[in-house]
Amino acid sequence: MFYVSIFFQYASQYMKTRLQYRSDLVVELFSDFLFQAVNLIFILVVFGHTTLLSGWSQEEIIFIYGFFLVPYAIFSSFFNIWDFNDRYIVKGEMDRVLTRPIHSLFQIIIERMELESMFGVITGIAIMFYAGSQLGLTISWYDPFMFLLMVAGGSLIYAGIFIILASISFWSDSRTDIMPMMYNIGNYGRYPVDIYNQVIRYVLTWILPFAFVGVYPAAFFLGRDEWYMYAFLTPVMGLIFISISVFAWNEGVKRYRGAGN
Amino acid sequence: MNVIEVHGLKKQFKSYSSRKGLGGAFRDLLTRNYTILNAVDDITLNVKQGEMVAYIGENGAGKSTTIKMLTGILTPTAGEVRVNGMDPHKQREAFVRTIGVVFGQRSQLWWDIAVQESFRLLKKVYRLSDEHYDTHMKEVIDTLEIEPLLDKPVRKLSLGQRMRCELAAALIHNPPLLFLDEPTIGLDVLVKMKIREFLKEINRKYKTTILLTTHDLSDIEALCERVVLLDEGKIIYDGALDKLQQNWVEGKQVHFEFQKPVEKNALIELTADFPVKWRAGDKMRGWQATVDGDDDTVSKLMAKVMSHYSISDVKLNQVSTEEIIRNIYEEGMRHG
Repeated sequence: MFYVSIFFQYASQYMKTRLQYRSDLVVELFSDFLFQAVNLIFILVVFGHTTLLSGWSQEEIIFIYGFFLVPYAIFSSFFNIWDFNDRYIVKGEMDRVLTRPIHSLFQIIIERMELESMFGVITGIAIMFYAGSQLGLTISWYDPFMFLLMVAGGSLIYAGIFIILASISFWSDSRTDIMPMMYNIGNYGRYPVDIYNQVIRYVLTWILPFAFVGVYPAAFFLGRDEWYMYAFLTPVMGLIFISISVFAWNEGVKRYRGAGN
Repeated sequence: MNVIEVHGLKKQFKSYSSRKGLGGAFRDLLTRNYTILNAVDDITLNVKQGEMVAYIGENGAGKSTTIKMLTGILTPTAGEVRVNGMDPHKQREAFVRTIGVVFGQRSQLWWDIAVQESFRLLKKVYRLSDEHYDTHMKEVIDTLEIEPLLDKPVRKLSLGQRMRCELAAALIHNPPLLFLDEPTIGLDVLVKMKIREFLKEINRKYKTTILLTTHDLSDIEALCERVVLLDEGKIIYDGALDKLQQNWVEGKQVHFEFQKPVEKNALIELTADFPVKWRAGDKMRGWQATVDGDDDTVSKLMAKVMSHYSISDVKLNQVSTEEIIRNIYEEGMRHG
């Protein structure tokens, strides 16, 4: 309860600050939007040449993309820890975080949130509705609940993977380019995994389970029952990954060396 | 009651060194060379409630590392630490509610938002009641005279203004123990004095225990009765400031400025009967004698030197703390 109220305190402070720099905010929203549009155009271009990709139609792939945008938006709003090493370890900001009576990971999440990324949720839902109506999907009473569950699972998987990567900084403070690479790999999850070869499919399912952020949960809403098993695993994988990541984080904090040493 | 109880505290850092050349880089992949650095080496320290302790030492002596272990930021390699009756690292979240920390070189406040918004967020973070905040903070704000700064964003404050706000922020929850890491670095004399006054005031009023590191010895002279001196991770002196002065040198410093150049050996020979040490002074043909004796000895020495050489200037000083500390670093602690 305390954490919820602290979250809202920070969020309202964040909005106040953002609204002071209105032009920045507009530019950022616009570039976000442009980025999503380019991705969508890419999908349309690919399907300009073919109508089916391993048995998935264009509309289905667009639907998966729309779904992917929602957990991805939540992830990018709250887990901006890609520069954790630079900002908190090298510059020593972690010292300050550790002298405050809130869990260190939570503090970093609320300090680094970028709420404007949440607009991706709206774009994503709009795309899903468009693709869904093209496909003639109907909405059952349980769909909204399943949607929330799947989105939560997907966001936790994303967050978990990136928290684990950030935790590595506690052990080794040398810079790595692993974060941008991971953003790229993350994008593979928004295409049907059966277009990839076996090895990549295995990696995207069990090791870097980005497939659980896009195609697997979306398959549930597309009514593709051959994937249901994976779809229902989404929240489970989310919980597993976030638990591992919090454990890795807590172990890492014990090894924090501080700046200037 | 001891606020800080530290026994056999150690912190080691492994630092990796890389080998030369490409072949070396490949070998580094397999086995890496490292050296173990004892940043803090077997420190035992007790601090009572209400004490103001200066923790001093050269850069790299291990001051900051100790402070970081006492505040729960770093995990000790070995040894026991109890601060406010808790283990700082294991009970971090509960523990940090009982301490205040100011790092002179790093801001605790939010850069972009007004000072009072920062205070308001901290008030939530420390779960303070409105009454506590209103009464306690009003006092702090008044004493530090930061009322007019409250609605300005931190980035627009001068260093002195910011530092006063940092102090206020560290004291928002009225902690019984305050850690200050170089709180007066880069500040002008007036702000320094204001901050010292304030620290004395809260120490008197709330019995706040204060542990501070500084390179500015006037801070220590103004504030601390007790000094802990650190060198290469070890405590080389722990005791009263005036005792440090007495132990090191009883006596005075005499600065001579001679009219003609004088050899050091000639001076040593001339004053062989006196408990005196000579070193080259700051000025041309200047020599500085540190006399370890009473006033009588000093005046006899001066008489002897002045009857032998013609001098253009002479000055008689009490040995400054700065001088003592410099001596200790140069020659090690012998009188301790």
